[in-house]
Amino acid sequence: MTQRKLDFSFREKLNKIVGGNHHNYCYQCGSCVAVCPAARFSNDFNPREILLKTLLGEEEDLIRSDSIIWKCTNCYSCYERCPQDVRPVEVIIALKNLCAQQGVLPGDINKFSETLIKTGRSVIITSTVNRRRQELGLPELKDVNAQELQAIIE
Amino acid sequence: MAKKISVAPFWGCMIPVKYPQMELSVRKTMEPIDVELVDLDQFTCCPDPIYFKARDKIQWLTIAARNLAVAEEAGLDIVTMCSGCTSTLLEAKFMLAEDSELKNHINEKLKKINKEYKGTVKVKHIVVMLRDDIGIERIKASITRPLTGVKVGIHYGCHLLKPSQIMHIDDADYPSLLENLIQALGATPLTHREKLLCCGKGCMDDEMPLEMTHEVFDSMESVGVDCMGLICPTCFNSFDMGQILIARKMNREFNLPVIYFCQLLGLAQGLAPEDVGLHLHRIKVDRIMEMIGASERRLEMVA
Repeated sequence: MTQRKLDFSFREKLNKIVGGNHHNYCYQCGSCVAVCPAARFSNDFNPREILLKTLLGEEEDLIRSDSIIWKCTNCYSCYERCPQDVRPVEVIIALKNLCAQQGVLPGDINKFSETLIKTGRSVIITSTVNRRRQELGLPELKDVNAQELQAIIE
Repeated sequence: MAKKISVAPFWGCMIPVKYPQMELSVRKTMEPIDVELVDLDQFTCCPDPIYFKARDKIQWLTIAARNLAVAEEAGLDIVTMCSGCTSTLLEAKFMLAEDSELKNHINEKLKKINKEYKGTVKVKHIVVMLRDDIGIERIKASITRPLTGVKVGIHYGCHLLKPSQIMHIDDADYPSLLENLIQALGATPLTHREKLLCCGKGCMDDEMPLEMTHEVFDSMESVGVDCMGLICPTCFNSFDMGQILIARKMNREFNLPVIYFCQLLGLAQGLAPEDVGLHLHRIKVDRIMEMIGASERRLEMVA
């Protein structure tokens, strides 16, 4: 019989991320599952199980670019319902931050973030955009101060 | 005379670039209800509460705090047009109020650009401003063409209401905000079983988002709505473009116009469909215009 190996160093890492420490409050009641749309529409997404894996330190399963955590809809229903103030969605986002630290973010998120840091906006402005705005009588979109943004996140 | 209020509009990224019709509808509908919009050109992306926050919560919080500080410097409260921006800015305020050490840490970063977040600025989604600062009576007084007989299927989206501990806007399970506003326009708000379901956009999966969108439409169709009324550009993307995808991938056509709240407000204030950019929608709104007699006015204008 094989014994499950518990690794608490993973929880310590997670505790250092803002909101990550709330995973410690989880008593596995499953209230989050009852209100989770991703749990309702898929066979494999289950916030209680994600919290359990977190508590058991199953890092290899959670911290991957194809981890189940990316299927979270970010709807905040679990945050609303959780009787323990675990704020499951925020724990999931903290897990995603660990993915970023370990360089295993899904490609889309990297691309999106780079655009944001470079331009200060998450959507690129093209000449077509400003032409359409002009047709509607809206002011031209100018560049925003991305240097300031870059300076504060260094 | 009613008191005029001045606010800083926070347009976000999606609205000005992808859905300028929403911006247009806000700019055109505020004057009759005595709201002055003072554009601040220093705002950046809020930043978005799903992708960018997934990368680094501290960076996300720092950029949000900078945006809040920009409004504080100008002495204006922020009005948001997108539920995502509302969520980011209000959650940032909540986190910085909850944890003074974190606030100091973020302010150290802002010091590099001579900014400071104090915590004085208020942030409201435009529908919340309409309810709390303008009021139903003043909205009603601005209406010249009530949307009589139009049955509007309401979609709240997720980030306006949840978590209520942060948002403080309405009951997250039994909200009434949009019902009351839609009613003020003379239209009939219709409740339906999936009124509070997520649009699915934040879920990184190939199939689930469309299944959720489909479920919302199925629910609205079952109660016989004429159009869908919503308040968020991300939800709009899921439902307007989403209907094209549902027709293609799931072989089901709903053909249900999707309309942003301020576009409905504009129609009720007597604006032509083009004045609130309804011609830019994938799903055409002609049937609604006929119901309220707006299409005839458009023909007159063309002639």
